[in-house]
Amino acid sequence: MSSVWLPCGDYHQSYVEDQTWWQTTFIKFKMVLLLVIVFIGIPLLLPGYFISVATMVGYTAMGALGVQLLIGYTGLITLGHAAFIAVGAYTSTLLVLQFPWPQFIVDWGLAYPISILIGGVFGGLWSVLFGLPCAKVKGFYLILTTMAAQFITVDFFLTQYISQIGGRGQAFSLPPGTIKIGAWAIDTDVKTYYLMAVLLTLMVIVLANLLRSKTGRAWVAIRDNDIAAMALGINIVWYKLLAFFVAGFFAGIAGAFWVSNTAALSPEHFPWFWSLWLVGVILIGGVGSIHGAIFGSLFMVVVMELLQWVVIPLGDYYPKLLFDFASIKDSAFGLAICVFLIYEPNGLAYRWWQIKNYFNLWPFSY
Amino acid sequence: MKKTRVQKVGVLVSALFILFSLSTMAAAQEIKLGGIMDTTGATSDVGKDYTIGMEDAIKYINDNGGVNGKQIKYTWFDYGYRIPEAITKYKLLLRLGVVAIMGWGTGDTEALSPTVNKDKMPYVSASYSAHLTDPKKTPYNLFFSSDYSTNARACLTAWFDKKWPTKKDYGKRKPRLACCYMFASPYASAPIKAIKDQAALLGFEVGPDQDVSLFALDTKSQIMALKKFEPDVVWHGNTTMSVSATIRDAYALGLGADHIIDNWGFDENLPRLAGEAAEGAMGATPCAFYGQPFKNMDIVVASAKKYSPGVPQDKRTIRTVQAWGDALILWEAMIRADKAGAFNGEGIMKKGFETLRDYDIGLGAAPITFTPTDHRPATGCLVQEWKGGKFQTVEAVDLKKRWPEKWEKEWLGW
Repeated sequence: MSSVWLPCGDYHQSYVEDQTWWQTTFIKFKMVLLLVIVFIGIPLLLPGYFISVATMVGYTAMGALGVQLLIGYTGLITLGHAAFIAVGAYTSTLLVLQFPWPQFIVDWGLAYPISILIGGVFGGLWSVLFGLPCAKVKGFYLILTTMAAQFITVDFFLTQYISQIGGRGQAFSLPPGTIKIGAWAIDTDVKTYYLMAVLLTLMVIVLANLLRSKTGRAWVAIRDNDIAAMALGINIVWYKLLAFFVAGFFAGIAGAFWVSNTAALSPEHFPWFWSLWLVGVILIGGVGSIHGAIFGSLFMVVVMELLQWVVIPLGDYYPKLLFDFASIKDSAFGLAICVFLIYEPNGLAYRWWQIKNYFNLWPFSY
Repeated sequence: MKKTRVQKVGVLVSALFILFSLSTMAAAQEIKLGGIMDTTGATSDVGKDYTIGMEDAIKYINDNGGVNGKQIKYTWFDYGYRIPEAITKYKLLLRLGVVAIMGWGTGDTEALSPTVNKDKMPYVSASYSAHLTDPKKTPYNLFFSSDYSTNARACLTAWFDKKWPTKKDYGKRKPRLACCYMFASPYASAPIKAIKDQAALLGFEVGPDQDVSLFALDTKSQIMALKKFEPDVVWHGNTTMSVSATIRDAYALGLGADHIIDNWGFDENLPRLAGEAAEGAMGATPCAFYGQPFKNMDIVVASAKKYSPGVPQDKRTIRTVQAWGDALILWEAMIRADKAGAFNGEGIMKKGFETLRDYDIGLGAAPITFTPTDHRPATGCLVQEWKGGKFQTVEAVDLKKRWPEKWEKEWLGW
């Protein structure tokens, strides 16, 4: 078998071989090129505004990965993911601001990185709590229980109690220099972008690895037919809760990251609309695909920003466009979901797969 | 033939080049100003008129000499009161090269505060949160109005001075205060600590806070909860639509308390929405209502008619006047910075805003002072009430005069 190109046909002789990531030199080259673009090209070549857009793409993708795991890989529909992001954000912020860290932890800039991890764990555990009903209910009823997560977490606990810690009332503000990793204070667009890029890369690697393990296969089996999965001996409650934990863990990490981008926090950062937005992201990107979460984030953030650039010059002639811009954006979001569901129900990831196949099979693509 | 075509192309390219050069020269004479507004979100009930007022004000400034002859190119965005949106909009405005930004809500202004400080970007907000007034923490945030905490302290003091002595229980027991506001909103919750501090100072008994959404249309459960406490006065920290729903329900359920309201909940629309329930409602008015006879109000009204003829005059409110207040102080600061040869973010702040001493913008606003150590523009607030079909003055409370030591040493920044 060529070590440069994939053969024309499936010649893998074991599951391990089939699931190997970088099977040929060409694929290795592509992946290295992607990493070079992400870690060197974008931060070095793009100006600040575009880097901040890239950071938003990454933040969206971090949240969407968890939603993808729940909806796309395990078949558990969630509409309360912003709550788990909020838990991670608040856990991280409170740890950084209020926890009596030993001085050497603060001096070595370890408080924030540790708080990211703990934020992830808290997000995961909180997610499991609201995932418990999945043992008994599914489909429409599960959607309602996840929605309850949003209202109970953000509107009740965070707003009424957690936000009051420290006496400021509702908003936390992190003084400059508080968010640092080692000697590296996260205080510029580029540094924030790098943090996002590292976290997102790790999250993609973890999820991709989980999906090609026994756990991942169990999730997919549950998604495809939970009764059949149970008949095969899969403990579906355990694996569903594990999916909630991993999705919540990712959400918690996303929330803890978000703090570095704003250096301020209030419950208003996590509206229910954000949960809905993340579901829209995976619908457009493609359900059941890691690529889908990333393509969807890219599409939603970049297209909405492009819409902004179109509206700027038109605003001089049609001021109404400016006044109603947020509504126009929401309408575009709804329209995009409708268009994708009708014309490309498998999302952008499927289109990407088709393009890749075209080139892989060229010139005999028929 | 070929030569002619080449000549034509040459002329065209030259013309385009000249046009581009001229437009670049014109752009060089242009000052870019950004805006982040809410015309569709949770606070759009007051945000639309503010946005229109801001556009009127910038057009007026351009028609009256601009900034020492330079025209202002104002680019603004609606962010729908969503904080993540505000952050990307801010970065976009930065990319467009703006020298200052007219901002909106407390949540996004506070979220952006560390960034604007780092970028040295003067950020003139419609959020009057006292948390933005300490230059040690937020050196690039400011606004023309008395801050929310000053408003809350002034309203409570005015009620204590003028209304409490007229109550039958006066002298027999402590007056009772309760607060209605959206807990989750940094805007609405910003002055709560201050008003409770003022209540303690004046000897109030404080009841349980009631969580009222900015979108609230029905607040009966909150009013029923308040009835057990029997407050004498209720502080409302939300915007007009929500406040009107609350005082309407309070009236219908016979709560029997007076109402004191922060400035964003107290405008010409309040009596329209709340009807007779608004009678006697008192509120903070850091500037005059639209059309009230004060210095420079004629300019505001004439500009509204000239630049926004499609908006009926009876729809214009105090929000227009507030937008003018913020625009006028920025205008003066930019003129001063430009004259001082320091036309950049830091210059506009240091050579512009922080040189304003008792600067009178008219419009019924208090004279404005910013110093490098104190960004509280005013030391008190005019409290008015809706009575007999019109707004009437209750008391002009000057906190600095009444509590000079606390004003100087304790109350800055919260």
